[in-house]
Amino acid sequence: MQDLVNAVVEMMEDEAMALTKKYVAKGVPPVQIIDAYKEALRIIGKRFEECTYFVPELVLAGEMMKAATELIRPMMTESASNLGTPRIGKLLLGTVEGDIHDIGKDMVHMLMDINGFEVLDLGVDVPAQRFWEEYTKFQPEIIGMSGLLTLAFESMKQVVDLLKDRGARDNVKVIIGGGQMDEQACKYVGADAFATDVVAGVNICKGWVGQLHDGTT
Amino acid sequence: MIEGWENMSWSQKQEAFLTKWASGEGIPFVSDEANAAYRYRAGLIKDAVTLKKTPERVPIVPVAVFAPISLYACSPKQAMYDPHVLGKVCLDYTRDYDPDATVIPPMVMHGPVLEVLDYTLYKWPGRGIRDEQGYQFVEKEYMKAEDYDHFIADPTDYWLRVWLPRTHGALKGFAQMPPLYASVELAMVAPWLCALGAPPVQESLKALTEAGRISFEWIQALGPYMGQMLASGYPMLAGAATKAPFDTLGDSFRGTTGLMMDMYRRPDKVLQAVERLVPLMISMGVGGAVANNNPIVFIPLHKGADGFMSNEQFKKFYWPTLKKVIVGLAENGCMPCCFVEGAYNQRLEFLTELPDGMCAFIFDRTDMGRAREVLGGKSCIGGGFPVSLIITGSAGEVEEETKKLLDVAAGDGGYVLSIGCAMDEAREHTLKAFIQAGKKYGRY
Repeated sequence: MQDLVNAVVEMMEDEAMALTKKYVAKGVPPVQIIDAYKEALRIIGKRFEECTYFVPELVLAGEMMKAATELIRPMMTESASNLGTPRIGKLLLGTVEGDIHDIGKDMVHMLMDINGFEVLDLGVDVPAQRFWEEYTKFQPEIIGMSGLLTLAFESMKQVVDLLKDRGARDNVKVIIGGGQMDEQACKYVGADAFATDVVAGVNICKGWVGQLHDGTT
Repeated sequence: MIEGWENMSWSQKQEAFLTKWASGEGIPFVSDEANAAYRYRAGLIKDAVTLKKTPERVPIVPVAVFAPISLYACSPKQAMYDPHVLGKVCLDYTRDYDPDATVIPPMVMHGPVLEVLDYTLYKWPGRGIRDEQGYQFVEKEYMKAEDYDHFIADPTDYWLRVWLPRTHGALKGFAQMPPLYASVELAMVAPWLCALGAPPVQESLKALTEAGRISFEWIQALGPYMGQMLASGYPMLAGAATKAPFDTLGDSFRGTTGLMMDMYRRPDKVLQAVERLVPLMISMGVGGAVANNNPIVFIPLHKGADGFMSNEQFKKFYWPTLKKVIVGLAENGCMPCCFVEGAYNQRLEFLTELPDGMCAFIFDRTDMGRAREVLGGKSCIGGGFPVSLIITGSAGEVEEETKKLLDVAAGDGGYVLSIGCAMDEAREHTLKAFIQAGKKYGRY
């Protein structure tokens, strides 16, 4: 099914769907079709890292995955219906209190998902207390906070301060993202890293869970 | 407006309009000192942007929207609901902080008008945002993929009868209006006029009339403060704003996700739509600049930044129509000034395609050393100072960083000291340190 892999990788949306339908009709086991998509996503992920793919490809890859999932899911047993790659870590994500921008956050969500993270997205204007409550329930390795406005510095700092107060700061990595995030903001907030573009942020997170998993296994 | 205008080249027109603006002609200055100070400040900016002469020092132009409000302990809500609060704060800010060009108060907008229109493109303090915060954009797919042909055939008709009803709750009735072309002949005019009488259309027309009335009152209240800012010797940092066609289509019509998919699904439609927007974006900028007698036209750039798309995509979808808007503004005597949000490290070479001195670029997160290396002597550059340091740093750190930035970026004479974003907040000690450091270390 190299033709399907290529069609997805090369962003040939109509052809990818036509091939998916063709293989389904031919009776190819759904799991093999899924493997083709997984392989395509692996290559797409690599192209993001190499900076040959950007937001348009991210958005379109997300759309192709969604369409394929909808087509194939009814044929799958529940346990095998997860089209994504094996989960490599958990990310708690949200735009911080006072800020209602969601475009950057939604892109992080999509790309982290494609890269194998289980993402719990709290939406926008999320107060520090809510981050804390969801953190305790979800137990993620990483908390990702998004914000486009400079007021986000203070809201992000409140979340980190809360983690410190509750003695949980050392158990979780914190990354902040948004147009005005930089080393200075990162230091002020008390985060472990900052990112101004989605791909950089995802690569930092992948590095972390790699380290974390190496350290614990 | 200026003698011999029709026969001038773009460069002569720009020079003439900038000279007229920088002369302070027509401004009732409070004193001769204010008059001289205005000409000095505007002159610094004129010299920096045209690259024809090295100014005495770098012009210092922090760009801000709500920052002055918070510096004077007022809330954005107060400023958006009381033009006297807004006007007074902007006037105080201008005199106390003493920048070379000051803020434009109407950018804060008037809350009551937005309420009357039930404006849904933004949330603001009083409508979904806390009192202490400025307005925030709500991006959605306001234009559907199947609407491209209508948009391309007649953007104004689309704007009026489809987009306005979707983005302004009180203007929903406009969706029931027939196109206005029927007004062309008496025998055909009846259906068009009768439809205007339908109750939903009448309601929308009333809302628009009311919004106009309130806005007029507001600007009459605000105007005297702006007059005092000018009369005290401070030019405003721009006469108008316009946008890159791709950003207009992406920000306010299709949304990021929609437009990015369109680049694959219907690339020809995207190209036709952005092309269609070129003359509209030019006239928006020129109209404002002429009305305000200030040739500087701000163009905030969004979706063409590094990380959003590849250079090939930028070259195909984003840059050609932005370039046409820049050239079109210059041909009308305006000085386009792109406010380059995000980073443009991968795009700098494209910007060199413009004729020398045609356009200025204020950068946000672009590497300023490289910006100077690529654009120095070709286009005025500016910005590059991180807002994070203004908000979380000390005065000493800000002074140090400003000095460093000037060393890196200002050497060619075509540099404007500015912060990389339009500030919604600031701190008194750091912002003053920034401006003072510019005056101290920015001399040529």
